Amino acid sequence: MLGPTALWDLFVTGIFRGGMYALMAVGLSLVFGVMNIPHFAHGEFYMLGAYTAYFAFAVFHFPAFMAILSAASMGLLAGVLVEKLVFYPLRRRHPEEWVLNTFLVTVGLSFVMQNAALAVWGGQYRGITQYWQGAIQLGSGMHISLDRAISFIVAIFCIAVLWWFLDFTRTGKAIRAVAQDETGALLVGIDLDQIHTITFGLSSLMAAIAGASLLSLNPAYPSVGLAPLYKSWYVVVLVGLGNMAGAIPGGFLVGLLETFSYYAFGSGWQDVISLSILILILLLKPAGLFGNRGISLSKA
Amino acid sequence: MILELQGISKRFGGLVALKDISLNLDEGQILGLIGPNGAGKTTLLNVISGSLRPDNGYIRYQGKEISKLSSDRRCQKGISRTFQISRPFSKMTVLENVMVAAIFGDRSQKQEPPRDRALSALRFVQFSIDENTLAENLNTVQLKRLDLARALASNPSLLLLDEIAAGLTPLELADLVGVIRHTRERGVTIIVVEHLMRMILRLCDKIVVLHYGEKIAEGTPEEICQDKRVADAYLGENYLL
Amino acid sequence: MSTGGSHRWVVLSPLSLFLLAVLSVLPLWVQDEYLLQLLISSLLLGSQAMAFDFTAGFINVINFGFSAFVGAGAYTSALLVLHWGISPWLGPLGGAVASAALGFFSGVLTLRLQGIYAAVMTWFVGLTLLSLTASLSGLTRGYRGLNVPLFLETAARRPYFYIIFGVTFLTFVSLRWTGSSRVGLAFRAIGQNLESARASGVNPTKYRVINFTLSCAFAGLLGGFYAHFLGILTPDVMHSRQTVEVLALAYIGGRGSLWGGLVAAFIFVPLFEYLKPLMELRLVIYGVLLILVMIWCPGGLAAIYTQLKQQVRWPFMQR
Repeated sequence: MLGPTALWDLFVTGIFRGGMYALMAVGLSLVFGVMNIPHFAHGEFYMLGAYTAYFAFAVFHFPAFMAILSAASMGLLAGVLVEKLVFYPLRRRHPEEWVLNTFLVTVGLSFVMQNAALAVWGGQYRGITQYWQGAIQLGSGMHISLDRAISFIVAIFCIAVLWWFLDFTRTGKAIRAVAQDETGALLVGIDLDQIHTITFGLSSLMAAIAGASLLSLNPAYPSVGLAPLYKSWYVVVLVGLGNMAGAIPGGFLVGLLETFSYYAFGSGWQDVISLSILILILLLKPAGLFGNRGISLSKA
Repeated sequence: MILELQGISKRFGGLVALKDISLNLDEGQILGLIGPNGAGKTTLLNVISGSLRPDNGYIRYQGKEISKLSSDRRCQKGISRTFQISRPFSKMTVLENVMVAAIFGDRSQKQEPPRDRALSALRFVQFSIDENTLAENLNTVQLKRLDLARALASNPSLLLLDEIAAGLTPLELADLVGVIRHTRERGVTIIVVEHLMRMILRLCDKIVVLHYGEKIAEGTPEEICQDKRVADAYLGENYLL
Repeated sequence: MSTGGSHRWVVLSPLSLFLLAVLSVLPLWVQDEYLLQLLISSLLLGSQAMAFDFTAGFINVINFGFSAFVGAGAYTSALLVLHWGISPWLGPLGGAVASAALGFFSGVLTLRLQGIYAAVMTWFVGLTLLSLTASLSGLTRGYRGLNVPLFLETAARRPYFYIIFGVTFLTFVSLRWTGSSRVGLAFRAIGQNLESARASGVNPTKYRVINFTLSCAFAGLLGGFYAHFLGILTPDVMHSRQTVEVLALAYIGGRGSLWGGLVAAFIFVPLFEYLKPLMELRLVIYGVLLILVMIWCPGGLAAIYTQLKQQVRWPFMQR
């Protein structure tokens, strides 16, 4: 059996990863709930954030917080651009078969972004060892590196700010209104185009922050976004799509599950186990762990 | 007795759509299901056809409990329905739309090829457009007629019609009433959900009135016309009685 | 497309018969090995696009793990030949069976979910298969590469062309025939309006599984042929980007047409070859094209063809 130190390290890594998955899963949930887009380029905004933070921190020697902030701004900018250039015209021209079409568009987008990154920056891994030096001692042999601790706090802070934003600001409430009932929101005078742009921008911003914060763990390279994409989709399907609140505990759960089963089974079997668990849960509870919207074909 | 509902209830979150509904239907009867908007008429049809599972109560069809059956199985057993908002297979032709039901909904061993059965159904409902037209090129009224042909092509014993008369001219309405009567003559039991009182009163043997999910009256057309509770429920609504 | 009984055996239109005939005799005149190789590559990708379209275009489910099923067939065939001494001519059948079984099981478990969830689950299945194949490197040799016995001793391309052409033709005719049968009608019904299909007596999950299993069976068959043609396999053949290439071809060609993907393959595979610098950006261009097609012309090449056909008819009719 694992000693307490090893167990603790796994736990910390799991929670750390989980925080990032929660951040990304919330963004994914937001985009699907508000814009009805199954977002498959989410990982590429993570990648963008990772690259921005790398260049800001390791090349231009910004302070750590500035690096993460620049990543966030880059994510926001890219998100807004993509929404205006890609989804807005699609919404104007072909509102039918929206879910399918946007899915394919995000797939195409993912490829464009990945291969553009490959062409511009090449395939080599760009990583950093850590943003901040030092560690926090927590009793016998258990410590958390400062780097991880602060990055984790960043993630929690972002989720908290998002929560406050959605609950207490006018725009946030407007976003929730659109997620519930687009027609109703339109009828009360909410500017749908603006909401869509803000939503996508927010989601991309959070993915970029995740990418920047995890830089010490996952170096930046063109296809670094695939795993976070997979994980955030896993979380979102697991807890039930349309359930943003559930995405948070879901993210942590998946982070812990992944870390421990990777340790126990290695990468190949870990995926089999994760998938089997997901299938099992969906068979028993088709709305997902916490979900209430039915996603199976037979609406009971 | 072809259909027996006992204690059917259905809620959606906080909204009680159906509350303790019970009714019996004999073979060959035409039952009218009326009530103000939001009374639960379509929900009840959905429960009978299998699109929705009730929270409580049971449904007996031809003597057998069918609550666990999916709607495709119920179609094969002889329960057919039309939709309030028509949903055709847009990229398929009119003929193909009806053939799906003829092939997959009709479990009786018919000798006639499905293509011919589908054409008969279209002729029966007096569908006048070329059968090779794509469904997406039809207007609402034509789509409703197509929907009826589809429902009949699966050779039902129980037919559920959901506001099939909406938007029809008086002439088209008379045609439709004729088609429904012919259908009953073939031995099909029919439940008609409608807002047009004149049509309901002329066509139906029995009427059930729903209001806020509850059954407030049941009886012959004459009895319903004289029922005070029905008049109260419709207060403020403008119906021709 | 009608499903009238009497003329169902005439599955191919005169035009497609003509084009296929031309394609089949083309190699007799073409001497250039390089050109033949291009044609073979087009056939391989195009036939995959057809098998993919069988699911995406008919039942409206995107099998985002498609290439994993192709790869599963490839590896199964290769391993059967290597370890069990089966002839490479029969190996692909084993590949078809293996992928069909995988498709059946994943289908039964995941195709009871609605559209996008089904697609996401097939994606997860694909990722898992890839991961597993890479991990079982004792058996598959993982990323070091598995050497696969070839069909023929000769390196000449022409006989290989006919082998791949044969299996492409088989795939096309089989899928087309099934698509215009009663089962095909059920597929299209659930793909176009699930609730109405149910109300017409069609069991959606059952027919989704049938379609998915068939599509995966062909994916496995094509994978097997790919393996014994190429001679080497790595888990990369199962990667999502391979699925995206197939998907892009199917969509640019026209979803639901079946033949569209094949035509698109014959346009883009040689195009990317001849414009060598573009090869690097191949996937970017597919991505951009996919976006553009979705925004401006969702019906793809098939829709353009249909519109052209109507334009050509009109002048004749007005005379």
